[in-house]
Amino acid sequence: MSQTTKGALGPYRVIDLTVEIGALSTMVLAGLGADVIRVEPPAGHPTRQRGPMLREDTTSSLYWAQMNAGKRSITLDLEDEADRERLRGLCETADFLFESDAPGNMPALGLGYEDVRGRAPQLIYVSITPFGQTGPKSMWAASDLIGHVSGGLSSLVGDPDRAPLRPSVEQAYNITALNAGSAAMIALHARHLTGRGQHVDVSMQAAMANTLGNARLYYEMDGIITERAGGARAFADRATRIIYPCADGYVAFVRVPASMIRLHKWMTAEGAEPRFDAERWASFAIAGNTLPTEDEIAELEAEIEQFFAAHGAQALYESGQHFNVMICPVNTMQDIVDSPQLNARAFLAEVDDPALGRLTVPGAPLKMSATPWRTRPAPIPGQHNLEVLQDRIQAQPIGD
Amino acid sequence: MTSSDVPGAHVFDGIRIADFAWVGVGPNATMQMAFHGAEVIRVESSHRPDTFRSSGPRPDGDGSLDASAYFAKFNRGKRSVAINLAHPRGAEVAKRLIAGADIVTESFAPGFMERIGLSYDEVRKIKPDVIMCSMSMEGQTGPHAKFRGFGLTLQATAGVTGVTGWPDRPPVGTGVAYTDWVATHVAIIGILAALDHRRRTGEGQYVDLSQLEASTLVLDAGVMDAANTGRIAQPLGNRDLRHAPHGVYPCADDHTGGDRWVAIAVTNDDQWRRLALIMDRQDWLESEQLCDATGRLSAQDNLDDGISRWTSMQTVAEVEQLLQAVGVPGHRASNVRDAHEDAQLAHRNHWWPSDHAVIGEMSYESPAWRVSETPPPMPAPSPLLGEDSEYVYRELCGYSEEEFQQLIVDGVVE
Repeated sequence: MSQTTKGALGPYRVIDLTVEIGALSTMVLAGLGADVIRVEPPAGHPTRQRGPMLREDTTSSLYWAQMNAGKRSITLDLEDEADRERLRGLCETADFLFESDAPGNMPALGLGYEDVRGRAPQLIYVSITPFGQTGPKSMWAASDLIGHVSGGLSSLVGDPDRAPLRPSVEQAYNITALNAGSAAMIALHARHLTGRGQHVDVSMQAAMANTLGNARLYYEMDGIITERAGGARAFADRATRIIYPCADGYVAFVRVPASMIRLHKWMTAEGAEPRFDAERWASFAIAGNTLPTEDEIAELEAEIEQFFAAHGAQALYESGQHFNVMICPVNTMQDIVDSPQLNARAFLAEVDDPALGRLTVPGAPLKMSATPWRTRPAPIPGQHNLEVLQDRIQAQPIGD
Repeated sequence: MTSSDVPGAHVFDGIRIADFAWVGVGPNATMQMAFHGAEVIRVESSHRPDTFRSSGPRPDGDGSLDASAYFAKFNRGKRSVAINLAHPRGAEVAKRLIAGADIVTESFAPGFMERIGLSYDEVRKIKPDVIMCSMSMEGQTGPHAKFRGFGLTLQATAGVTGVTGWPDRPPVGTGVAYTDWVATHVAIIGILAALDHRRRTGEGQYVDLSQLEASTLVLDAGVMDAANTGRIAQPLGNRDLRHAPHGVYPCADDHTGGDRWVAIAVTNDDQWRRLALIMDRQDWLESEQLCDATGRLSAQDNLDDGISRWTSMQTVAEVEQLLQAVGVPGHRASNVRDAHEDAQLAHRNHWWPSDHAVIGEMSYESPAWRVSETPPPMPAPSPLLGEDSEYVYRELCGYSEEEFQQLIVDGVVE
């Protein structure tokens, strides 16, 4: 098997004008080998000041290092027509442009899809916004939190006696960005068919509306409004508990009938002397059988709680999975860094960041045998001005 | 199959996918290709049906494997063939199918495909330029490769659950199969990048997707922070480390049923002043402490109390309108009905209708993107289990009518 060094997307060039809502999409394309060119203002991209920081300052952004891994950087002042023209020129050399400005802003600068398609008919122009390019909410102010609530996911997240929740590590932006990556790849294949690029309009609200599982379907078919159920599966009108405390934290375990016999064997092997009737609980899987009562469920859960409380999360994971019980640890970020599984697969990698020095970074999210993922550092502002802009324009420092 | 003259129906013309994957991640990924003309063949078994075929919702009283709307959602535009892979001749049928396939997807526990003679090394002997994508929980290698789970529990391993909750309570996680909706996009991107590479070079390859690794992509810089500084992200309720006020606040009963909440995220000082203005809080406007994010972050309890009092006097629709009229990020915490009826999603025709022979008329999600030149036609409804068995066995696998009938008798077609 030949080992290409450039990655699966090696021939392609991406212009990246995004902020938080889109940065991950182009990072993934860079990992797959695309030449992603980050366009920054001369003073540096605003997300270079987004935390967390490596040091006690406002410039050593780990967020920047993560989301811009493997990209090149040029600086252009898009307030200045000469630089806007440089960007249009760059579009002629590119396969993709990703932007996440409010609808109308790019056209106002003469940089909208209609402004560049004449000169760059091959360009796949990906716009990523909270609600989409048109429609009654297209100009609504938004944020990551608004993504979680506007698609409906938050209504399924959180304790019933408190407000709907979002995950505290921002994710609506990143889920949206991954959707944009999928869209861009489909548009790339469409270009093989038509010979032309096109405009791709990605909506955060729509991306988050697609995380509802079957909850919206239950509304449409049965009129059921599924409610958040705390550490449980939010499932129509009957929630199933997922989160249990253990000796040093929490584990996730779903009581499904099929696993009750395995759970019983595991607990027995651990000397827990389970009292529940495994055959009876397994029988609840058979359609038409009676379902357990609230009291029976409470009694079983208390017994499981007692067992879990005697062991640590990682130990429960190892021993429970040995018995084919679907149990998972509620990992902290540190547990992920320390994960024997991720480390065996060399998921974390080291890079020499030009600004921050040696960094440990998440590496390949998928392993491709012929075109391996490439883990590379993020750029400093304008690091590639000369080598990129000389493609079309007499080489000269930008932003002086 | 729906035929159509629009170019969007032909993006993946000639591409056949032998889809051995099940549940969420794989089926959603291949469905996006089916929308654009790929021939996706779900390899199924009535003895080991896709979990979603046994799930709900389903029309009243219909317990059949063809009645699940959850399955229908992820399998529109596909074909279904019944092959009992546990039968000695099942693998032979699968090999004939693979011989004519461009892409093979699977999400069995690592080791299963090897056991039935369908490892990548075997598959590429049958089809040298095949792209094979395995999508297991934690990847094909490593000490936890065979560990079991699904999106509801994997999100705990992937770090999502631990940062979702209130600081004074146990973490809760998202209540949905969250990692499925993340990993599926990494699968789409990886498979389509591999397909593009094959178009250019003729070279196929093996893609080992770990749902765990793919899902950590959405943790922002959480893993990097722990790895490089030792800081560990904590659940913050709805608060934010950079912005305040930032929360989800109770609203007055609007008689639509259920509790009603509005999210407000003040992300800069200008939005703060406008919020204080519409709330008529002169004291907040005049406060020096509150004029920047640092001061507001240290006053969050007071701000949240004041905002809650203000929002609870009004309906979500009223608060949304007031906030958005002055450009402050605000939106109701949409429940599933709000999402179903949302005017913006309706503007995008987000919920695509589908008329299924057993389920009847329902709408299902569409992609979160719209493309200007090659939109796909409305996809055909999801297939009944084994609906296309005769076509697949006879036309794609080359069995004679007699052989096909014998395979039914032998229990291979099931």
